[in-house]
Amino acid sequence: MDFIGAYTPGNLSYLLKGLLVTLEVAVISIVLSFIIGSLLGVLRYAKIPLLSKVIAVLVETIRNLPLLLILFFTFFALPEVGIKLEIVTAAIAGLTLFESAMIAEIVRGGLVSIGKGQIEAGRSSGLSYTQTMWHIILPQALKRMIPPLVSQFISLLKDTSLAVVITLPELLHNARGIYNGGNYKIVFPILLLTAIIYFLINYSLSLLARALEKRLDTDRKQGTGLRKIRQNQKQSRPIPESF
Amino acid sequence: MISFQQVNKHYGDFHVLKNINLEVQQGEVVVIVGPSGSGKSTLLRCINRLETISDGKLVVNGITVNEKKTNINELRKNIGMVFQHFNLYPHKTVLQNITLAPIKVLGVEKSEAEKTAMYYLEKVGIPDKAYSFPSQLSGGQQQRVAIARGLAMKPKLMLFDEPTSALDPEMIGEVLDVMKSLAEEGMTMVVVTHEMGFAREVANRIVFMDEGQIVEEGSPKEFFANPKAERAKLFLSRVLNH
Ligand SMILES: Nc1ncnc2c1ncn2[C@@H]1O[C@H](COP(=O)(O)OP(=O)(O)OP(=O)(O)O)[C@@H](O)[C@H]1O
Ligand SMILES: [Mg+2]
Repeated sequence: MDFIGAYTPGNLSYLLKGLLVTLEVAVISIVLSFIIGSLLGVLRYAKIPLLSKVIAVLVETIRNLPLLLILFFTFFALPEVGIKLEIVTAAIAGLTLFESAMIAEIVRGGLVSIGKGQIEAGRSSGLSYTQTMWHIILPQALKRMIPPLVSQFISLLKDTSLAVVITLPELLHNARGIYNGGNYKIVFPILLLTAIIYFLINYSLSLLARALEKRLDTDRKQGTGLRKIRQNQKQSRPIPESF
Repeated sequence: MISFQQVNKHYGDFHVLKNINLEVQQGEVVVIVGPSGSGKSTLLRCINRLETISDGKLVVNGITVNEKKTNINELRKNIGMVFQHFNLYPHKTVLQNITLAPIKVLGVEKSEAEKTAMYYLEKVGIPDKAYSFPSQLSGGQQQRVAIARGLAMKPKLMLFDEPTSALDPEMIGEVLDVMKSLAEEGMTMVVVTHEMGFAREVANRIVFMDEGQIVEEGSPKEFFANPKAERAKLFLSRVLNH
């Protein structure tokens, strides 16, 4: 094993370049799939005639395909029908397609987990369907969605490495590039460092999620002084004034 | 104030409500009793259209409930509803639970809504819980908040679906007391309950249901002393011997 030979400035900066691509693809895919997934999840939950059914079929289909296949599809098959995407775009498109379907299910699951009694209480007080969703169902569902959402984001970040098959120059791709030169003494150190990088990023994401969950967990706060709860309410969760 | 005219309701093949005719006048307290599965909740929930009727006519506050053009939220803002399992919003404080609908539906200013909320919290005896979350309250306290939440809309009518059935015995009294004082103030109330003491003492009229039908209807005095229908006699002998 040759740690010194492995961690040369040249190799490190090449890894860093890969990391940046990983982060870029992951962050863009996370944002896009969160938006699209939430929309699909809410629309499927809302039982809109036809539309919800169509979404259900789409989501179930995509969820049951391997991500690898979807990546092959966006990079190798789409050009056949005249859509030629850059490697980065193809990777983002594939990941977003797959993750949107996963997130749609997480969002729908969170929504249906809120009891019917909550909707009935809201509706019977004269709130509209949208108002009931916005003020009563969504805030409660969101809290339950955070843990599965974050673990989905973490697996998305890891899954960016699958895009190695379409030669996306991401972290793992570059790591491989470094030791593929034939120097087997640096394989271990390079993969170790790569592992540490993935771990640090994903673990801090989990920690962030836990902190967020705690902050949203106001209704379980026990034995806190009145004033403190009141302040907490004001600071941490402003109630949207209108929809 | 409420008028059921030949109302029927089906769940698929199942005939839940059969030829219901029922009038409730303003200021009346009507208690609905009957065995489990007889359609009491269904009947109550038709009044604010949480359930739709299959045929017949149902008029509440002068509004025909099941007409296409009926603005359902307009109808509902005059009808308060209290559920067996309270259904308070767990992510909101007691005060926010009570002020949400007045602010969003009636368009009341927040400060005004809070003042009203405090007034009703005083009334149900727990103003000190305004900034607590529902999970920090006992069952009886939660149900009293639910009643205050309904009242804060200043409804013309209050519906109660077994408001004490989910409560520990020692908390039933505090909720019934609140309902009793509400009745004394002239609130129109339709109450589904198994609390025969409450029915006897507070109701103006008892409606006995069995298998989707109104089998007997009368003053508590008549009903408890001398039920006419055989099924009502059987029901009473069962519940009163407990
Ligand atoms: N959504 C539904 N679909 C099919 N059947 C239903 C539905 N809701 C209620 N029922 C049936 O309708 C009948 C009347 O129900 P309902 O809840 O009105 O009875 P209830 O008199 O309130 O009984 P309980 O005292 O147990 O609350 C029951 O037999 C019930 O199984
Ligand atoms: Mg019932």
